[in-house]
Amino acid sequence: MSSREKILASVKAHKPALIDLPVIPAFEGDGSIEKFKTVLTGIGGHAIEVSSKTECQQVIDTHYSDLKNLASTLVKATVEIDTSTSKDILEQVDLAVVEGVVGVAENGAIWVPEANMINRALPFITQHLVLVLDKTNIVANMHEAYKKLDTIGNYGAFIAGPSKTADIEQSLVIGAHGARSMMVILY
Amino acid sequence: MKVALFIPCYVDQFYPNVGINTLQLLEKLGVEVAYPTQQTCCGQPMANSGCEQDSKEVYHHFVDTFADYDYVVTPSGSCTYHVRKHYDIIEQTPAVQKVRKGVYELVDFLENILKVEEIPIDFPYKVGLHLSCHGQRGLRQANASEITGDKGGQILTLLKKLKGIEITQLERNDECCGFGGSFCITEEAVSARMGQDRIADHVRHGTKVLTGGDMSCLMHLEGIVKRQQVQIKVMHIVEILNGSQP
Amino acid sequence: MNHPALAEKFAKDFNRTTWHDETLWFVRQKRDRAIYPIPEFQELRTLASQIKDHTLSNLDNYLLQFEENARKNGVKVHWAADGEEHNRIVLDIIRNAPHIKGRTGPIKMVKSKSMLTEECHLNPFLQKNGVEVVDTDLGERIVQFRNEPPSHIVMPAIHLKKEDVGETFHEHLGTPKGEKDPQALTEAARQHLRQKFVEADIALTGVNFAVAETGSFVVCTNEGNADLGVNLANVHIACMGMEKLIPKVEHLSVFIRLLARSATGQPVTTYTSHFTKPAEGKEMHIVIVDNGRTQQLGRSDFRNSLKCIRCGACMNTCPVYRRSGGHSYDFTVPGPIGAILSPNIDLHKYSTLPFASTLCGSCSDVCPVKIDIHVQLYKWRQVVSKENELPAVKKWGMKGLAKMLAMPKVYNLGGKVARSALRILPHGMTHAKGMNPWAKARELPDAPKQSFKEWYSQNKKP
Repeated sequence: MSSREKILASVKAHKPALIDLPVIPAFEGDGSIEKFKTVLTGIGGHAIEVSSKTECQQVIDTHYSDLKNLASTLVKATVEIDTSTSKDILEQVDLAVVEGVVGVAENGAIWVPEANMINRALPFITQHLVLVLDKTNIVANMHEAYKKLDTIGNYGAFIAGPSKTADIEQSLVIGAHGARSMMVILY
Repeated sequence: MKVALFIPCYVDQFYPNVGINTLQLLEKLGVEVAYPTQQTCCGQPMANSGCEQDSKEVYHHFVDTFADYDYVVTPSGSCTYHVRKHYDIIEQTPAVQKVRKGVYELVDFLENILKVEEIPIDFPYKVGLHLSCHGQRGLRQANASEITGDKGGQILTLLKKLKGIEITQLERNDECCGFGGSFCITEEAVSARMGQDRIADHVRHGTKVLTGGDMSCLMHLEGIVKRQQVQIKVMHIVEILNGSQP
Repeated sequence: MNHPALAEKFAKDFNRTTWHDETLWFVRQKRDRAIYPIPEFQELRTLASQIKDHTLSNLDNYLLQFEENARKNGVKVHWAADGEEHNRIVLDIIRNAPHIKGRTGPIKMVKSKSMLTEECHLNPFLQKNGVEVVDTDLGERIVQFRNEPPSHIVMPAIHLKKEDVGETFHEHLGTPKGEKDPQALTEAARQHLRQKFVEADIALTGVNFAVAETGSFVVCTNEGNADLGVNLANVHIACMGMEKLIPKVEHLSVFIRLLARSATGQPVTTYTSHFTKPAEGKEMHIVIVDNGRTQQLGRSDFRNSLKCIRCGACMNTCPVYRRSGGHSYDFTVPGPIGAILSPNIDLHKYSTLPFASTLCGSCSDVCPVKIDIHVQLYKWRQVVSKENELPAVKKWGMKGLAKMLAMPKVYNLGGKVARSALRILPHGMTHAKGMNPWAKARELPDAPKQSFKEWYSQNKKP
């Protein structure tokens, strides 16, 4: 008998009688832009509101003029990235600007599906990250967020603020392995 | 209402005053209290050490001793918790069920059965309350900080009725003292350290009288107070409620 | 292994123990601040507990559903009965990877945090077989350099001070001697590990949650090391204990809301990554591991320990853990949850762990999936005793005590004799530290002349 069969048989023999699956009630909460921005700031991120998506370019020009290698399909890119880009090039990216699809006010997280990442490694290997989000896509909590996503797709991540660690004496350090800073442009 | 008094073994042997104050307080409140003298112990010391099978005969003795009473009142949250929670391993005869249901920690009995509202006592001291875990989390006599930031509970409610009292605001409102039954011997180093840290919290915040609902925690803490020669008087809550002064 | 002895050693350094206790209490307080404002937090705990209870009661079917969906997604699913098989499977996957097979030279693997691989002792096994394994979580990298096991499941290096880390990094990464600034040390690790990420052939991750209805799994990190590793390497191996399953995507919401808040007091981890299909041209493997879990599933008193989502909150809240350190447990998962998981693995070796607790119950109240940890500690104590793993002194002492307490006259007399002895004997003898552990740091209570019972008989008897 293979381990698979052995394990499944053992689980069957050892599991208790079936226990009902609960229904998750609809939890409401504050889904305001203000709440989202406050929480995001609390986790080391930063949000800027603009009146239309076209203003993104201006925001990037203003805030990131010092960065050289910029990857994006939303604003003017200086380095071209696709799914087959080599690690050496990915490693050189200073700034990635990509679009998120749902923002969560209770925790400042933004869902970024694979399709928006350009390359799966990009949002993580870039030195700095900007996520662009339609502010009408901010929901109160994780229950609403998953409801709003049709599918979790092949790969996707909730990203909440910049990369961080507190592994040395619980001192918070921003910029562990991933992005050193994270800005959200709400349009 | 037939009420019996249960004085836990270590209180009987080392803190007879706590027993005397419990009896007097209940009598003052008009309760006719019996004290069956064949009583010994609830059986917790063995059970917490892993020997609950050995405890069974003690459980039976406890039930036999108190089966005739509607309430068994005791100045210990820990013993109460043990009888209610862990007497499930003996046959659940009507007597066993009755005793498990009827056993009450003293303050719970005062508040919820006797409905005591007034305590006409002056107690002009800064009092630090030590919540015993079995009373607090076991019997849910006080809020737990894991669940809510609102402090509160049965003992605190009573204490606040005393005239002139000031309650110490601790850094850790409900951290365990480290007594833990045989833990205080087998894990001596951690046990002692936990107790020292509790006392330090009280010292830092000005406690003059340290009280609580379980003499076992207080025995451990008093042992540290005396060793460190700290100026804190340790009193069981019933001593305060019965009018003793530090 | 003996918890009291290791704990005593740890607690001997008074100031360091203070620091350790306060550091973890700080995390516990962050957790409190993160959960108090959420009105439905207690309800979420109940839901999480019920969802896990349900899943465990139907685990075989969910495992099959998960396997089927994962395979449809192009993910290869493997089954390991124990740690040894798990390690062998991982090595086989590595050796048979298309870009590695037949290749000579070192094989490089980056690994994000997985307590399961610690449990299976994967690192030494792979290293013995020519695979360079680099732990990429900062805390894990620190303890890997030092050749120590993690002392906490969420904060692996929480037992170390920044000076210790500074020395380690000076030795291994060439940071300036005396450098102890966390920011500078983290930057050094970033540079060092970026190199490792780029060079890696294989990335291994743990699994926080696996979703049966989609065959997906979720990995949560703050540093981004899981995604960096996985998305740069050609092969992704995800190792999961079989209890990580949940039925549907909608259930993730409950657990994601609980996990980071309970663990570190954050509203959510920085990265909550959902893996369903491998990227084009790449491989994704899942290794489902039993290693004693089905046995625990069969123990009705202890099965719900399998609900654990490894947040570590019970460690942060435990007054014993905070003052004895993670290494005093000498088990992959320390703290209260470790003390109820370990006896299932080796009752003899871990027989002191269920006693490393005052049964204060804080662990059960803090647990986001409502595992009744302190109740299980009490129950494991009974098992330890039944299986004859108690020290003889305790065992026979308790038997004697029980006999005495069942016989009122013997109890009365025994008490009287003991009290007299305490009164008569000199303090130096009753408080001799070698004889009486109580007296090392504490005075004994005064022994009164009369017990309550004696007083009552004299004053109150009708």
